[in-house]
Amino acid sequence: MTLRRKMLRDMRANAGSYLACLALVVIGVVAFLSFSIARDNMVLSKESLYREENFADGFAELAAMPEHRLRKIRRMAGIRQASGRLIRDVQVHDPEREASVYLRLVSLDLEETDRLNDVRLLEGEPLSDKEMRCWIDGQFFEANRLELDQELEIIAGGRTRELVVSGVGICPEFVYPLRTESEIYVNPEQFGVAFLPDKIMWSLFPEMDRAFNSLAFSLEDGAEFQDVKEELEIELERYGVIEVYPREDQTSHFILTEEIEVIGTMATFFPVMILSIAAFIIYIVLKRLVEQQRGQIGILKAFGYSSRAILLHYFSYSLTLALIGGAAGGLIGMWLAGPLTDLLYEFFHLPEVYAGFSVRHLLLSLGICLAVLGFGGYHGCKTVLRLEPAEAMRPPAPKGAKKFFLEKIPFFTSILTIQGKMAIRNLFRSRSRTAFVFLGIAVSCAMVAFTWALATESMPKFMFQPYQEVMVYDARVNLENPRPRKAGREELERLAEVARAEPLVEIPVKLIHRWREENVAAIGLLPESRLYNILDKDGNRIVASDDGLILSERLAENLGAAPGSTLELESIFLRDPDRTVKVAVVAVVPQYIGMNAYMGIAGLEDLLRRGEFATAFLVETAPGPGTVRDRVAGLRERYRESDFVAGVDEREDLVALMEEQWETAGWVINLYVLIGVIFSFSIIYVSSLIVLSERNRELASLRVLGMTSREVFSVITFEQWFLAFFAVIAGLPLARLIMNAFARQWSTDMYAMPAEMSAGSWLAGIAMTVISIWAAQRFTLRKIKRLEIVEALKTGE
Amino acid sequence: MGATLISAEDIKKRYEMGQVHVYALKGVNFTLREKELVVVLGESGSGKTTLVNIVGGMDRPTEGRLHFGQIALHDCDEAALTDYRRNQVGFIFQFYNLMPNLTARENIHLAVEIARDPLNVEELLRQVGLGDRGNHFPSQLSGGEQQRVAIARALAKNPRLLLCDEPTGALDLPTGRQILSLLSEFRDRYGKTVVIITHNTNISRMADRIVYLKDGKVEWVKKNEKPIPAEEVSW
Repeated sequence: MTLRRKMLRDMRANAGSYLACLALVVIGVVAFLSFSIARDNMVLSKESLYREENFADGFAELAAMPEHRLRKIRRMAGIRQASGRLIRDVQVHDPEREASVYLRLVSLDLEETDRLNDVRLLEGEPLSDKEMRCWIDGQFFEANRLELDQELEIIAGGRTRELVVSGVGICPEFVYPLRTESEIYVNPEQFGVAFLPDKIMWSLFPEMDRAFNSLAFSLEDGAEFQDVKEELEIELERYGVIEVYPREDQTSHFILTEEIEVIGTMATFFPVMILSIAAFIIYIVLKRLVEQQRGQIGILKAFGYSSRAILLHYFSYSLTLALIGGAAGGLIGMWLAGPLTDLLYEFFHLPEVYAGFSVRHLLLSLGICLAVLGFGGYHGCKTVLRLEPAEAMRPPAPKGAKKFFLEKIPFFTSILTIQGKMAIRNLFRSRSRTAFVFLGIAVSCAMVAFTWALATESMPKFMFQPYQEVMVYDARVNLENPRPRKAGREELERLAEVARAEPLVEIPVKLIHRWREENVAAIGLLPESRLYNILDKDGNRIVASDDGLILSERLAENLGAAPGSTLELESIFLRDPDRTVKVAVVAVVPQYIGMNAYMGIAGLEDLLRRGEFATAFLVETAPGPGTVRDRVAGLRERYRESDFVAGVDEREDLVALMEEQWETAGWVINLYVLIGVIFSFSIIYVSSLIVLSERNRELASLRVLGMTSREVFSVITFEQWFLAFFAVIAGLPLARLIMNAFARQWSTDMYAMPAEMSAGSWLAGIAMTVISIWAAQRFTLRKIKRLEIVEALKTGE
Repeated sequence: MGATLISAEDIKKRYEMGQVHVYALKGVNFTLREKELVVVLGESGSGKTTLVNIVGGMDRPTEGRLHFGQIALHDCDEAALTDYRRNQVGFIFQFYNLMPNLTARENIHLAVEIARDPLNVEELLRQVGLGDRGNHFPSQLSGGEQQRVAIARALAKNPRLLLCDEPTGALDLPTGRQILSLLSEFRDRYGKTVVIITHNTNISRMADRIVYLKDGKVEWVKKNEKPIPAEEVSW
């Protein structure tokens, strides 16, 4: 009881250190719990949707397969269930909207009782084979402020059709619906998914009457996907199979799984780092306290307090912090998990599942805090056990001091003041504290430099480089089917809105290198293309070669290929799709979104043994009255009901979307920078307090000698700046290592995070660290000014 | 005087400092009886503090036998020594050694909380003349007052032996006298055995017996036939 009072007063007397530690504990637990709960919410939500709506194990994309063939597929070994779908992207016509709006129409077999990738109807009415009605995904519905029974004008098969919204739903296949592989963020205002009865779909697209272009299938228990894939590829060959892929490669599932994993990493990486620092601080603080109070420990032992009771007393300092931090962090973390989950549900179309207050999570956060701080605290105060009572009553023998090695250099000695020498010798005397401060400053500097580089270099490059440096067209005219490129180009360039048009071929291919294979889009470009730049590591333009493929880095890595390697290429666009052709790799370039292979358009045509063709045109608008946006709108209007134009995309829309996303991501990254600064400040502040309490008498003696507070202060600051100089130097390569590790961890087949870090970020790291040190030292100076000389010089405590 | 409370036979204490062995006690023999007031005299480095540490159970002799009643202190493990310190010994130090962030009352409570048969805290505070200063922190008390708190704290556990290491060393004469009076008074009132370790020979005039230590050995032990009251001690 009385010892508890002593503890509380001790903590109050040294509140700064304990509060810094407590703040870190709370931040660590908040990060852990909010991310963990958000991840759990996502996992629960995902699993329930997948289970209840029969999410498929595999998918096949094909040109067209007659409906009746589905029966045979369903009977194949290893396949439990198969659903055929017709999937088509169409434009939504809305004269009041400038930007293109697309809907992916997905057919549903209304007679099938347990459809794969079924839709969970959130509101609305069932569909009927006889009406042009659809269910629409919830995010698109909300983002476009639609209402039930509202009519949407879509352009299907070159004609404007009216589609009535009959219901709102979510589907496991489109949790994160992206229109193309070159996008990274969902854009529900401009792209959504609509589900229609298959008979209605066939009426919209008569050329696909009673046929499917997509299969979803689930596997029998114990069946291997690879075996089924091989069988399916043979079976579907005659229907123009493009790709058979497992659930793991399905875009929406892949991104959702990645996101859950990233949140899981955040739930461990940050808390582990923050709590480790908290544990280290409590270790140093308690170690110092035990040394400082050895006389008091002696008294307690002399009274008859057992070593264990005294250990428990000092241990209770860390336990108190753990309990307060764990409880506060737990409650705040649980509370913050809600908004964080909301944020995720804005991107992912999932049923909204929220874990409310949970005793389990609260106990978990308490348990983690007790374990981490208990570990640090125990090691900090375990010397209590070793201290003999009689020994404890005596002041500790003074630590040995000697000249440090640099003092052998006369020049170095001559430039140091007495305070400087004291400071430096002290660094060598208290090695563990020196190591702590050194490590702390190095890590802080690295954290700030890393987060700064992430915020100002890597993330902007990742998000904007593809749309500002690579794809520099004003608009992209996508074709329904491949068309002759020369004629198409001439037609476009005759239009008033168009200054330049470049054909582009984008076709699905399978690339094979030894035993490795990847399904990607091959892109054919004009060698003289000005609207689509292939850039090397240094940002220099590379000409699309007619002699071979240029691979994106990730693709080359996955294939184990390098310039000079020969790949085999398969594609339904080959004149003879049953054959494979060989093609050389001529270069490898960085690419941040998606994986692609590039080639000169004529070279690609030759490779495929086809005549000239294009699947899209890139357009630079002509200068003239109005904005680029107006000219693109004019172009879009021209092709609104065209039979061969699937849509006109404006690059500016993508940049605007990225900017919008960047605003959301920006505050999170700024938060990371702030955490880096708080780290730095806490470590320096705690180390200053320790130095101050450790050398109270020594510093007071200097004051008695006639030194001013500032002169005394300079002993401490010199020590810190000297150490900081070397720690900052060590922090910079550490920042580079963290950045490389982060980029590697974050990169997937869909995204590659550039590990950018320039001198600017390093300078920011140094500057922030210096500011943190300076700010922490101001607090120390205040304490020095308040130093009671007489009190400090009194013998005993 | 009562029965033997402490008996020490050929107590030696050796400290090892690297290659060098230093003997702080070189074979000390003496006894302490119940309810007597003994002054252990000796100059700096004579081994006084080492002896008080060993008798108080804070340290172990390297050689020799030390008994507290039937308890063989030289054979005790850490737990038994802790129990001994907890229930049988009260310490008073030259520099008071109070917990700086506990009030006078709380400092005494600290001892009471672990004692088997403690004395009343308020009563003790009154007896040491600090009935109205119980809520003051050590920094708000004079040296004499702090030492009085230390005495109350040592007595609070109701130990049989009070070990006082230079209890007046940091005090002026009038305050030192007050402290000695208190010790003497408590010996009389509560029947404690009081051992005062000091280099101040004048204090020995109030003792029942005087033990003189020199160079780690008992040079002589003398019975004081006419102890004077503490109030008359002067230096």
